Order: sequence, then C-alpha cells, then structure tokens
Amino acid sequence: MGRTTKRSLADEVRNVARGWRWGRRPVAPRTAEPHTPPAEPWSFPTDWARTPAGRAARDVVLSGVMKPIVWNETSPDVFGLDNLEGVKPPVMFISNHSSHLDATLILTTLPPKWRNKTATAAAKDYFFDVWWRSAFTALVYGGFPIERGGGEGATDKAKELIRDGWNLIVFPEGTRSPDGWMQRFRHGSARLAIDMDMPVVPIAIIGAYAAMPKGRFWPKPGRPPIRVRYGRPLRPEEGESHQAFSLRMQRAIAELFDEDRTSWWEARRRAGSGQTPKLSGPSGPKWRRTWEGSRDIARRGRPPAWR
Amino acid sequence: MSRPGFVLEVDERTPPLLVHEGEGFRLQKFPLGSRVIYPPDALPGIKDVREAIRRALAHPHDSEPLEALLKPGMKLTIAFDDISIPLPPMQEPDIRQLVLEEVIELAAQKGVEDIKLIVANSLHRRMTGDEIKHAVGERVFRSFYPRDLTNHDAEDHANLTHVGTTDQGEDVEINKRAAESDLIVYVNINLVAMDGGHKSVPVGLASYRGVRPHHNVSTMLHSKSYMDPRAGHSAIHDSCARMGQLLKDNGVRIFTIETTLNNEVFPQPFGFMNKREWEWSLKEQATYLAAKKANDMAPPKLRHQVWMRVLSPYGVTGVNAGETEAVHERTLARLHQQQLTEVNGQSDVMVVGLPFIGPYNVNSIMNPILVHCLGLGYLFNMYRNKPVVRPGGAMIMFHPVPWEFHQVHHPSYVDFFEEVLSQTTDPSTIESKYEQQYATDPWYIHLYRKSHAYHGVHPFYMWYWGAHALDYLGDVIVVGGNPKACERLGYRAATSFRDALEMAGDTVGRSPSITYLHVPPLAIAEVR
Repeated sequence: MGRTTKRSLADEVRNVARGWRWGRRPVAPRTAEPHTPPAEPWSFPTDWARTPAGRAARDVVLSGVMKPIVWNETSPDVFGLDNLEGVKPPVMFISNHSSHLDATLILTTLPPKWRNKTATAAAKDYFFDVWWRSAFTALVYGGFPIERGGGEGATDKAKELIRDGWNLIVFPEGTRSPDGWMQRFRHGSARLAIDMDMPVVPIAIIGAYAAMPKGRFWPKPGRPPIRVRYGRPLRPEEGESHQAFSLRMQRAIAELFDEDRTSWWEARRRAGSGQTPKLSGPSGPKWRRTWEGSRDIARRGRPPAWR
Repeated sequence: MSRPGFVLEVDERTPPLLVHEGEGFRLQKFPLGSRVIYPPDALPGIKDVREAIRRALAHPHDSEPLEALLKPGMKLTIAFDDISIPLPPMQEPDIRQLVLEEVIELAAQKGVEDIKLIVANSLHRRMTGDEIKHAVGERVFRSFYPRDLTNHDAEDHANLTHVGTTDQGEDVEINKRAAESDLIVYVNINLVAMDGGHKSVPVGLASYRGVRPHHNVSTMLHSKSYMDPRAGHSAIHDSCARMGQLLKDNGVRIFTIETTLNNEVFPQPFGFMNKREWEWSLKEQATYLAAKKANDMAPPKLRHQVWMRVLSPYGVTGVNAGETEAVHERTLARLHQQQLTEVNGQSDVMVVGLPFIGPYNVNSIMNPILVHCLGLGYLFNMYRNKPVVRPGGAMIMFHPVPWEFHQVHHPSYVDFFEEVLSQTTDPSTIESKYEQQYATDPWYIHLYRKSHAYHGVHPFYMWYWGAHALDYLGDVIVVGGNPKACERLGYRAATSFRDALEMAGDTVGRSPSITYLHVPPLAIAEVR
C-alpha cells in the first residue's frame, strides 16, 4: 500500500510537472494564446541583497566560490586597476559583453572597497524571470532588474542606487555578443551617466568569448586565457550629447583592445590620429565574424612546462 | 470584463488537463489535436445584491412593480427553487434568502398577512429543516417554519388543484394554495438554461399527474436539447409553456423573480479548479498535489463528507423580475453570457468528467442511475443546435460509478436498479411496462410524503433524461467505472483513458476526433 502511494505520488508530481515551467509562467497552448492575458508586471525585490548582511554574503560567495571556480577554469590577467586611484565613487563600470563570465570577472577583479558597493544592471527579461535566477543574480552580482528596451522609468532604480552611492556595472550593448565582436552601444548608459554626472570607467574583457561563448554554461577546458583591462575614467563634457558620449565610451574600450593587442604607446598614438581599429569585426558572411571572434587569444609569458 | 469561453486544441505545450471523476479528480493527458471546450471566465458579481433586487422589484419587466401588486387582505404564496440548485449549494447568504427577505419586507410594509412559503420540490425529496434554513436564512426560517413554510406535497390530493387541460391534452395540476392565491411570487435560481421560465410553477408545484405530460420518453426524444428552451427546440419546454399559458388564462397570477450566478464554483483552496491549467500558479500546483493525495488517501466516508461540505462562493450576475417570459428571456441572455462557448463542428468522441454532485444527490449519494442522468442526461445535452458528438459517436465519461444508494433519499432507485434495469435499459419499454407500478406504489408515496425520499417515479425520469443520448450515441464508456454497475447501465467500463479510446475504436475508428467538455464550471456548447 505504502509503495503504491509513493509511486503514485511520484507519478502525480511528474504529471503536474509535465509540460510546465516550474516557478515561471507556463507557456500557453497555441490556441489559448489569444485568450491568455499578459503577465502582470512584477519585479523581484533586490534591496535585501544590498543590505550589510547581503553584502557580506556576496563577499563570501564571490571570494569563496565564484573566484576559485573562474580562476581555476580560466587564466585571467588583470591590468589598469591603478586607473581607479583617486577616483571618487560612485562610478559606472562599462565593458564589452561577450560571456556570462564578464560580470564575475569584473566583480572578482575589483578591489574589495569598490566591489563592496557595486551593483550590476541585469536584464529583467532574462535574469529576473524566475525566482531562483532572480535570487542568484541579486545575491551574487548585487543585481537589479533593468528593462533592455528602455522606456519610462527604466533607469529609476539605477538612479536611486547612484544617489545612494552605489557603483554600477553596465553592459551598454544590452546583451551578449553572438560572435565575439562588440555590438553597437545602446544610449541608455550614456544618458544615465550624463544625467547623474558620473565618471565612466571603461573595461575591456578579452578572451571571454573564446573561453565561454553564448550558449555555454561552463568555460572550455584548458584554462583559456582572459585579460581584463581597466581604462581611465571618462567624464561627460559640458553640453556633450548622449550619442557623442556613447561613441566616446565605445572608442575607449576599442583603445583598450588595441592596447592589449600591441602596446600602450602604440595604442595611444593610433588613438591620437583616430586610427584605433574598430571592434565591429570583419565584414562578410556571419560565419567569418564568428570564426574570427572565437579565435583563442595568445597566452602571455612562458608556456607551462607540461600540458 | 471577463474572458469569453474558447475551444483549445491540444498541442505539445498543453499540460495534462483537470478531469473530475465523482468524489475525485485527476490530471489527464489528451491526444494531440483533441479539442477542449472551456467556459467563459466568471463574470463579475453584482456588488450590492440587495439593491439590485430592490431595483428589479420596483422596475419589473411587463408587470406592475411588486409593491403595487401587494394589498392588505390578499393571499400571497411565495414559492422557491428547492435543493437541486445551485450546485454545489451556495455559501451563505443564499440568493433565495436575499430575494425572499426583500419580498417579505415589501409584503409586511403593504399589510399583507396571509403569506405561505412553499419549497417547489415537485417530485423531489422534501428538504430538511436545516436545508431550508440554509436556503432562506435564519430570519425567514424563524418567522415562517414549519407552519407557513412547507415543502410542496405532490401526493396530497386534498391540496392539489386541477387547473385545466392544454390543447395538447396536458393536465395542469398544481398546489392548491398556490392556485388559489391572489399572487404567486416565484423565486428562482437559473443555474442552467433548462431551469426557470414556465418550468418553475407548472412543474415545481405540480403533482405526478401534472409532471407526466412532459416527463416522458417521447418528450425527451424530441428535446434537442432541453438545455435550449427556444420554441421548437425542446418539447419539454414547449409543453411547460403551454401549461404556463393555461395558468395565465385561468387567472393564476405569477410574479417571477429569476437570478443568475457566475462561474465561481469552487471555494478556496480549490480555486485552481476554476482556472485553466496552464495558468495555475506554483501554489495552485502544490495545492492540487496536496488535495489530490489527501483525497485519494482519505477513507471514502470522510471524503464524501468533505465533498458534501463544499459551498460555492458564487457571485450574483443578474436579478430580473416581472412577467415570466419577459424575465426568462433576459435571464437566458445573462446565463448564455456566462456559459456559452462556440464550437465548430461535431467530433467522433465526447469526453466528460462527471463531478461529485448532481441535482439529486445534494447531501446524498450519487448512485449509478444519477450517474446516467448527469452524464447522458445533463452534460450530453449541454449544447445548442446539435450535440458536441456526431450521431453514432462515442461518449467517454470519468466516474467510479459505485454500486451504492442512499437508502432514505433513493429507495425506489434501489428497486429500479435491481428489478427494472436488470431486465431492460430501453426507455420506452421501461416507461410502458414499469412506470405506473412505481409511480403509484403506496410505500414509495408514503416515503415521499413522510420521509425524505424522492418520488417512486423519479428514477424513471432520470432514465428518460438520458433517452435522447442513448438513442443518439453508438457507445458509452466509463473510465474507472465499476464494471458490474456499468454493465447494468448498458455501458462499458475501462480502466484508463487510453483503454477507453481503444475500446471506442470499434465504434468510431482508430483515429477519432475528440472533444472534451471541460466542466465544471458549466459550459454550453453552441455547435456550428
């Protein structure tokens, strides 16, 4: 009897779970779609993750779990943290976005005093669609939801955090690169920086696409190299439009890529003459961009004694 | 604005769907391409029901206001629907209570002293005091019961009046007190399209002699369907209309008050049963699992007690008063707004899950004959224009069909099942050979009048309700049904839905089209 009951309970759970998405609004059958009302707007609460207890928990998770994993599975190098010296928070960290590793790499390379007061803008439709992913994003990244499409009130939460002295990590491309090359920046981040009159610190993350491109949820084997380069903070100039500032932000990241490829001196010279190579990738068929974008970056230093 | 009903086509995204099976329920997977008829969402209930009732009484349709009809020294009879509606019974306050209180308040103000309240139970069992109290409220009950608030007695010949005979030869015999009153106020709850209109007084207050002209096999076979009371569609309603006209012609004054309810059938925490499955929240999924397991593991008696305590949190969607036909037209329009779903074409197989309750097993047991009445009688007939299933198609029902009877409420059912159905299931043969014997049996009449038993003829009517479906369908299969009871009813029992489809293959082929009528909450299929 007991055995039958157990088995039938398992069957029932399987039955309930079949075709449903637990914790997320289930997909309506096709013929029911016109009769299904849109989901009610709801935002996962994230303020708890920025309380002292939440920050302490984040520090433990980042230092004790995330960093050991990322540093064990990849070989990151960090450059340019000295650019943060003398900068008064809050600032906006912006970076190219090609992998789920990006936010972790920034947060685990930032000095603790910066990291402790840094929150990450995360796409509401992806990172805040189910409770468990929302909780993970809020706890580990200090994440807060932001609408990709912009619109009225889209940056209200970001502004509230900046006023409270929080630094923000923002990926102005809005989504991960499908081919490793940098996409056009959306103007929301430049507009926010101008509105709040805050410095923007450009960061170039090189090799993250090759290590863990879109579609992978664990880095490739072989500890692929990744380099994280922090640049000099940019400030919106008097009367500068958000379009112009956004282009300047893109250029700053492109210069960091150029610096990584050659040297600081050469990159500065090319920047001075407006010849910094663009990061939009080669023209031609899509496969070619993906092919070039996923090329492993060169390892620095001596090769290991054994493989 | 609530959502209208619609027809779902099962695709790979469709979760298993809720199917009722008596005092139980399950999630059942349906074959891809099956159609599922969903009723409209619950209409919003009227916020101030008492005010709506007052307005309806003051501004009736094709009638003077009730206040103007009430005069000192008059004889007033107030009749109201019995326990067979609504289903499940309504949470307090019952709408009958609210209407009765307003009517009686007006009568008191106008100096009416001779008031009698009658439960229009026709040949149904007498309601108990507690049941009446639940329906009419404590104030009405305390003021009138038992002297001036009684059950109608269809076998008390001294208190019945033969009003006349219609041009079709139909005897109209109703409660004497009602027939001789200066005014009958009838308080109705219109749960399905079959209820109300001229079916209220000529049937609810009638004797066996007054019910027999339309409760017979011929009328049932010509009622397609009796859930579609438009003239010419339902012989039973045509007959009732003639009787109503005869009452009118003979000076019986009726002031009809009809009410409609919304689709809020299941109270919390069982609210998930009112919702479409893909819209269940995590909490509702968990509630389903907990309720399902608790229900399956509970001893049958406890399970029965729990189900019988379900009271629905209905909202009132309409109150109309005045002349019977004018009122009923508006009532039906409101009812259809709540229950009608358009369906394109018929299918080979109709599937339906029979719920735990029907009109005749409130606080009682759903015996096999009531299963027949609910499935092939009521749910098969939940259509307009033409049935959901094609002629010669198969009907698959979910119900355990327990071989079980309530000895107090259904004594003649026991004998009907043992003596009549064991001989034949043909409605016409049953009618001609056995009906008179049961209808006039003194012991059944005694139990009907003095105990709480349904009239001796009642199981026959239950069988007749399904006559049209029996005549129309090629096969009836019951998933989970007691094989012996099903065999007695002329059905076939299957252990699973897959088996039932396999068995139906003999009748409808290997790849039949399937339509599942997803009730309750109730839906009427408008089949094009």
